[in-house]
Amino acid sequence: MILRKQQGILLILPALIVMGVFTFYPLLEGIRIAFTNKHLLKEGTEFVGLQNFARLASDEIFWISLYQSIVLTAVVVCLQFVFGLILAWAMSQELPGMSWFKSIIMASWVIPVAATVILFKFMAQPDVGLINIIIKGLGFENLNRYWLGDLKVALPFIMLLHLWRNVPFYGIAFLAAMQAIPGSYYEAAEIDGANAWHRFWHITLPGIRNMAIVMVTIHVLWTFNNFDFVYLATGGGPVNATDVLPVYVYRQCWSSYTLGYGASIGTIMLLLLMVYFIVFIKISDRGNIS
Amino acid sequence: MTKSRRKIGVAIAAYGVVFISLIFFILPMLWIIYCSFRTQSSIFTGVVLAPLHEFTLENYKTILSVTDYPTYFFNSFKIATVVSLLALVCSIAGAYGLSRFKIRWKNAIILGIFSTQMFPQVLLIIPMYLIVFSLQMLDTVMGVVFGQLILVLPFSIWMLKGYFDNIPVDIDDSARIDGCNVFQRLWYIMLPLGAPGIMVAGFFSFVVSWGDYLIVSIISQSQRTATATLVIQRLSSALLIRWGQVAAAAVLTIVPTIILFSFVQKRLVEGLTAGAIKE
Repeated sequence: MILRKQQGILLILPALIVMGVFTFYPLLEGIRIAFTNKHLLKEGTEFVGLQNFARLASDEIFWISLYQSIVLTAVVVCLQFVFGLILAWAMSQELPGMSWFKSIIMASWVIPVAATVILFKFMAQPDVGLINIIIKGLGFENLNRYWLGDLKVALPFIMLLHLWRNVPFYGIAFLAAMQAIPGSYYEAAEIDGANAWHRFWHITLPGIRNMAIVMVTIHVLWTFNNFDFVYLATGGGPVNATDVLPVYVYRQCWSSYTLGYGASIGTIMLLLLMVYFIVFIKISDRGNIS
Repeated sequence: MTKSRRKIGVAIAAYGVVFISLIFFILPMLWIIYCSFRTQSSIFTGVVLAPLHEFTLENYKTILSVTDYPTYFFNSFKIATVVSLLALVCSIAGAYGLSRFKIRWKNAIILGIFSTQMFPQVLLIIPMYLIVFSLQMLDTVMGVVFGQLILVLPFSIWMLKGYFDNIPVDIDDSARIDGCNVFQRLWYIMLPLGAPGIMVAGFFSFVVSWGDYLIVSIISQSQRTATATLVIQRLSSALLIRWGQVAAAAVLTIVPTIILFSFVQKRLVEGLTAGAIKE
């Protein structure tokens, strides 16, 4: 007979082994590589101390990518949050057809990102893409262009792709949290004469607080680490206009083969996310106590 | 009087949101399905409503019989199935252990699992490539599977733990007193009661694996393991893009995910958010 304690350990062992070998070990090894000049095609790896980090401090594309990563993450998560709330509000109304709407709206979240990128690349084509057909139909002939190839529009267009994929997920998640709020709270507030805005601010928002914290935490991490939207849509172009850190790391590693340098940028990403994670957990914990 | 008028206002606003959402979220998918049945020259006319004779099945015929797409589709299917099964075995056992047993450093383990979400995958993949290379698993199905497992395991465990936490402990306890061992309890109690959550976890793993580009692009080296996702990307970044065929290939790649989605759609929310709604 195995003891209860050991049973628990045995149950989680397979998951821990897989994650140990393919997540935690690679993480440590990745950080170690960041301090070497490892090259994919060259033999002989040497420890070079902080040389990679010194190099990236003066690497202009690193700073552009860092800036764009932060802007992209901040804008995308904020907009997703707001639009998700609006969507959840609409879906919480008991109206004919709403359950049908709820059942199809998350479709954009389940399809492969590569397919999402193709949908939008196709619609952004000059002359034959749906976006340009509509714009021309409205009489703005001179705006006809390849939207992902435009220096100013490319990054906002990437943000749009993120919104397209994730807003329904936010909406559905917030809706689930809203429905867990007891209806009696709202009735009591109504009797006390609270208006719609007050009810939203004092009942709905606190009610979905936990869900909101989880959604924002996860999506900041996922968006900042997201590689495929930018890489598949533009590869970082035109002229670095959409470069973000994950894509820059990927290019350094698998196009230039400089694994050591790529790993050092990846390590910086990890540090930034750890700082965010710790600060955010601290802040949301403090809110919990009060 | 004013109350019913306010209700009408709310309904109009809500339907407005629904209408805009349908256009924004659903129309792009309908558009690519529509265009996948048009000839290349029909698409290039830039006309929205094409005349009937411009519709064709040629794009699908070409993708399915002239190109290697079916091979890649089958690879995707094989890889995603193995990933889901392995992820389910590991995460059901793991979530059950974390949900029901006293384990030393349990909180640290849970935090550790959650914190993997902040590890940059582009950093992990550098050593992962070297590990897979030294295990001689480059360009093998298992190599891709192990790489993708780390994408799905943490979230899957976290989600299932939340789901299992919501199943009353009493049922579990009384079965233990009746003499059921740990595997019997897992098999006869947690699996049936947790089935909706398990379905969602399996669905999540399948969809993530099916849609993965990063890991396949590194570990796959040839036709043996290249997936549909990889190939539609290649088709759509060719110098001369045949949009009709790209659209057909993209639709074929989307279809399995949508079919599975239609099965779990009712449970999806419940399952995905179980970890966050507890209190």
